[in-house]
Amino acid sequence: MVKKRLYLELENCIGCRSCLAACTQCGGHEQRNRNYVYDVNPLVNRQTMPLMCLHCVNPACARSCPAQAIQIHETGAVLSALVEKCIGCQNCTIACPYGIPKFDTEQNLMYKCDLCIDRTKDGIPPMCASVCPSNTLQWLTDEEIEAKQKQFNLDNGKWVTSMPYLEGETNVRVNLPGILQGVTKLF
Amino acid sequence: MQATNKMQMNSASTKKSTINDAFASKFAKSMFLTVLGIAVLMFIGTRMFTHIDLNLYGYMVGTIVFLGGFFYRFIAWGERPPTKIILKKGLKLVFSKRTAKTAVSHLAIYDFIKKRGFYRWMQHVLIGWGCILACLVTFPLVFSWMYFTMDDNGYYTVVVMGMDLLEIKADGIIAWFSYNALNISAIMVIAGVCMALYRRAKNMQARAEQKFIYDLMPLYLLLFISITGLLLTIQNVFLHGWMQPQMSLIHQFSVILTLIYLPFGKLAHIPFRPMSVLARNYREHYGEQNMKACKVCGDHFVSVEQSNDVIHVLGVNHIEFNMEDGFNLAELCLPCRRKYRISRFSGVPTHQVKVKEANQNARG
Repeated sequence: MVKKRLYLELENCIGCRSCLAACTQCGGHEQRNRNYVYDVNPLVNRQTMPLMCLHCVNPACARSCPAQAIQIHETGAVLSALVEKCIGCQNCTIACPYGIPKFDTEQNLMYKCDLCIDRTKDGIPPMCASVCPSNTLQWLTDEEIEAKQKQFNLDNGKWVTSMPYLEGETNVRVNLPGILQGVTKLF
Repeated sequence: MQATNKMQMNSASTKKSTINDAFASKFAKSMFLTVLGIAVLMFIGTRMFTHIDLNLYGYMVGTIVFLGGFFYRFIAWGERPPTKIILKKGLKLVFSKRTAKTAVSHLAIYDFIKKRGFYRWMQHVLIGWGCILACLVTFPLVFSWMYFTMDDNGYYTVVVMGMDLLEIKADGIIAWFSYNALNISAIMVIAGVCMALYRRAKNMQARAEQKFIYDLMPLYLLLFISITGLLLTIQNVFLHGWMQPQMSLIHQFSVILTLIYLPFGKLAHIPFRPMSVLARNYREHYGEQNMKACKVCGDHFVSVEQSNDVIHVLGVNHIEFNMEDGFNLAELCLPCRRKYRISRFSGVPTHQVKVKEANQNARG
């Protein structure tokens, strides 16, 4: 099985929030979404961007967990808290550089994106990428991501996925949008 | 000459020696003190080792081996920086008023599991309390902290810690419950385990995620213990004790196996769970003392103590989130931290726009 990654082209987002709806339908998510869609500049324009767990290679959430409840899957996915281990201290919510983990006070349990591990462990794309109508969220091999780079034809060294624009190395690849780079993307 | 002697003595006495110096490691100390404690309690409970039930000595050895595994695992776990902080600060607060209430809610009636679903709560109560009841009966008997004697009068004398606690009628109600306590607990555990197995067979998500060794084997082990235990009663009552000695060995084997495995698999959450009481104390106590204001919006979102502790723990792991804008990411409330990330993606200062984040709940 070829290893695939979640790949984000942020400025494609049209704010339909399909990814949120799809997330609720993933097995084990119990009808609650674990991702976010944000207005970039709400008083000025309609640009939105999704915010997903980026599945850090060295995840701050797991490092700060006193109960070792956040496990890292062999595919690199940083899993949601194990229900029997999570002690409800919320260290992970404070540690995460992107503010991803959600906490249920009543259940005394943290839950976060697990990259739909029941799907992705078998090579099926996560729910969010399955439904995204604007190709903001894609499920690609490393070769395909490389091919994307050629397609963008920027040639100014500014085509970046992940580092150095993130807080650390991540398993999810983010194509930093043209708005940040001051260039127009060429389709 | 005298002066130097005195100085040497001084320097020796300034280096305060503690009980810890007597032991090679934390593990050795914990193990020694626990085994010593058990031995002392046994000495008292058995009236100077005169009433040991040698039928149960296998369990005794099994328990000691379990303690070895337990301390090995627990001490390694307690050395992790975040665990150490919660353990240390939580234990300081263990005598606060909150502890009793939280402990009952978390460790006795499992309120938080009820919120995760009634079915799961029910199965957990049955398995949890079945096991607790069984342990409360078994271990006092194994270490002879409790035993029964009888004169020729139809009354049992219950001896607890070497003291004649009470006399009960051999065919009375208390006696009946004493004989059947382990049968009751076995039935509770079997019912709970069957509920759990049914859920794991039917629930599609559980089926996708479960691993045989981690999720199912502990259930089968509990089933193994409970069924072999119940069989002992059945053999005695209905089969005139046929094959009872063999079955008692099989039962003993099942218990010892589970005990030894307990600290290393899913069942490890049993001894580790009290941490959640410590964590709650830690959050509530420091939350009342001083709350952290978000560096962007000013909302109070976590205690100053915890924010600093998390920054420290991440630092130990060589993770630092100090931003050029003059704050650490752990000093931002969650919505602001997310908006700050968006702003770093887009170049637009999203986090500075005074608009509440849009609804992020897909269910509306």
